[in-house]
Amino acid sequence: MRALALTPIFALMAAASATAQTGTGNPAAMSPGAAQSAPGMPAPHQANENDRLFVKAVTTGGNAEVLLGQLAEQKGRAQAVKDFGHQMAADHGKANQQLAQLAKAANLPEPSDLDEEHKAMRSQLEQSSGADFDLAYIRGQVADHQKTAQLFEWEIGSGQDPQLKAFASEVLPVVLRHLQMASNIESQLSTTASTPSPPAQRR
Amino acid sequence: MPGTARISLLVGAAAASMAWFSAAADPLPPSATYRPLPTLPLSAVKANDEAEKPQVMRDQQSVLDQRYDLSNNPIPGVMMSGGRKPVQGGVRVKLPAGATWDTLAGMSPDEVRQRGLLPPGFTPLPHVKQATGGQVIPNSQIDEIRTQEGRNLRRFDVDFDLPDTFTPEFPPPIFLSGHPELGDVSRGRLLTIKNYYEMMVGFITPVQMEGLRLLLTPFPQEEFNQTEDRKVEDQSLGITCLDCHSNFHTNAAFHQTPDVRPQAARFRLDTVSLRGLFNQQIHGSKRSLRSVEDFSEFEQRTAYFNGDHMSAQRKGVNLPERHDQTAMLAQMQNAIDFPPAPKLDPAGRLDPSKANERELAGERVFLGKGRCAECHIPALSFLDNNMHDLKLERFYEVGHTVNGLVQLPDGPIKTFTLRGIKDSPPYLHDGRLLTLADCVEFFNLVLSLKLTADEKDSLVAYMLAL
Repeated sequence: MRALALTPIFALMAAASATAQTGTGNPAAMSPGAAQSAPGMPAPHQANENDRLFVKAVTTGGNAEVLLGQLAEQKGRAQAVKDFGHQMAADHGKANQQLAQLAKAANLPEPSDLDEEHKAMRSQLEQSSGADFDLAYIRGQVADHQKTAQLFEWEIGSGQDPQLKAFASEVLPVVLRHLQMASNIESQLSTTASTPSPPAQRR
Repeated sequence: MPGTARISLLVGAAAASMAWFSAAADPLPPSATYRPLPTLPLSAVKANDEAEKPQVMRDQQSVLDQRYDLSNNPIPGVMMSGGRKPVQGGVRVKLPAGATWDTLAGMSPDEVRQRGLLPPGFTPLPHVKQATGGQVIPNSQIDEIRTQEGRNLRRFDVDFDLPDTFTPEFPPPIFLSGHPELGDVSRGRLLTIKNYYEMMVGFITPVQMEGLRLLLTPFPQEEFNQTEDRKVEDQSLGITCLDCHSNFHTNAAFHQTPDVRPQAARFRLDTVSLRGLFNQQIHGSKRSLRSVEDFSEFEQRTAYFNGDHMSAQRKGVNLPERHDQTAMLAQMQNAIDFPPAPKLDPAGRLDPSKANERELAGERVFLGKGRCAECHIPALSFLDNNMHDLKLERFYEVGHTVNGLVQLPDGPIKTFTLRGIKDSPPYLHDGRLLTLADCVEFFNLVLSLKLTADEKDSLVAYMLAL
């Protein structure tokens, strides 16, 4: 699993190749007054509202991945959970740096703190241990990566900044790989243990 | 996996904590599901779209050039049913450097994926402009509708992308199930709102005639309407069902699946022929609507608005009355037959006294080693009225973006008929395969069939006889 590292993204992000990969946007969604490098083509680092929301959500999520990954590396019981946590901390650390540079180039604010969702997740994980920790962490990872995949697809179709769209396009396959890994681990954890009825059915 | 064997789960606590996380989570942005309103006036959007258009078409052409051999290379002596267009031959999907079809077929799906050897032409084909999407009509249809009706179907942002050689003959023949003895009743003309009555009176019933009128009546749609959110120059009267299903067949117009979001994940849809619809029990490549009545009504309400009922309400939805208009729409469509296949017997099998040895050999492969008949059942008009997942993602890494389309697993897709199949290129639900020989290589790989060259050639010969 350690072989699954992020590819160097900036090497792939010349503006021309970015457009060829993510396609030309729908001008109906361009920000009024956005600078253009050619008619209809947003200039580099010209962000729209969707780009802003994307940077905010991905930065917040990426920071949480690093913190929670480090936590999983320390507290995980199953080796697969420890390894996964290690990889999340490493991969998302790199991606966070790349996104931070793009956000700075586009003058987009980056949140530095965890959002309420991930604060709560961290608090719950800090209070749990053993197999309980493993399952809670990995189920959180599955849900986070499902949403992240959809968020990246949304940015590819709805963003404006060619570099941010290229970032989403380059990282999406890695997000989907992470999701597959997390799902596999969740499946292993669930099938290895004796499985009581889920809470909804026990009520 | 050290450690996992010792796990004893406190599932209740874990599940409870996860429920708490979910409740606190911010949802995804609304425009990941809903269509946003335009942010710029139409004049600015149009100017930008027109300026971008050459680059848009160059980008798509480079995708096509990377995937396919687009040369004009018809099969000698084989024409489509109306005799107006030759059928293109040969495998047109390009192989990766160093690979052959046989070396690929000898590899496991994992090996093909890990070595990145799946031919690009086998992967999902992007819309010409994925971020905008919508219906794109071939020039032949646009020109004829302009001539007959004065209605404008030409978009200012995109053109049709595939060469004319890989689309159905135009106008296609029309075969009526109530009058097999008449053969093609199209007289070489395209049915439109201007000529349908004089062309069809005396040939169809009053109910069918009213259904035909509705199928040829333009109604507003996502790209063709009167609002600022459109892609035609003038305030459009709209689009008709038969603007894509020309003469109840197909002109290869394409759009995007209404059934997937976000926009970048919506795969391309090639227009399906309506021939033989009377035997089709599920409708829509992913929606599996259970009747053509449901399908016709739903298309009017939402699907031509991309599965968005809110956009339909804003742009001028048509709501056909279920027990009158919808039924007539359906009855007209159900009256359209397949083209004649003189070598087939009543159960869809080749008549040995009429078929040649190559075609008969192809049928044996079709029924046996090729596994084609497991879904394309001859006696059921080569349908099984089911959806199947070919799991193509076993052969490539998902999530890569090609000209704006994120390549993702297709999931279950409806079985399409193979009757009259030579008349309806391109193939597969998104039109990613240009010839029948491409289809044979695709399924040879996907189903690990290991067909010989002779068997592949025989299969193509057999399908040309359907």
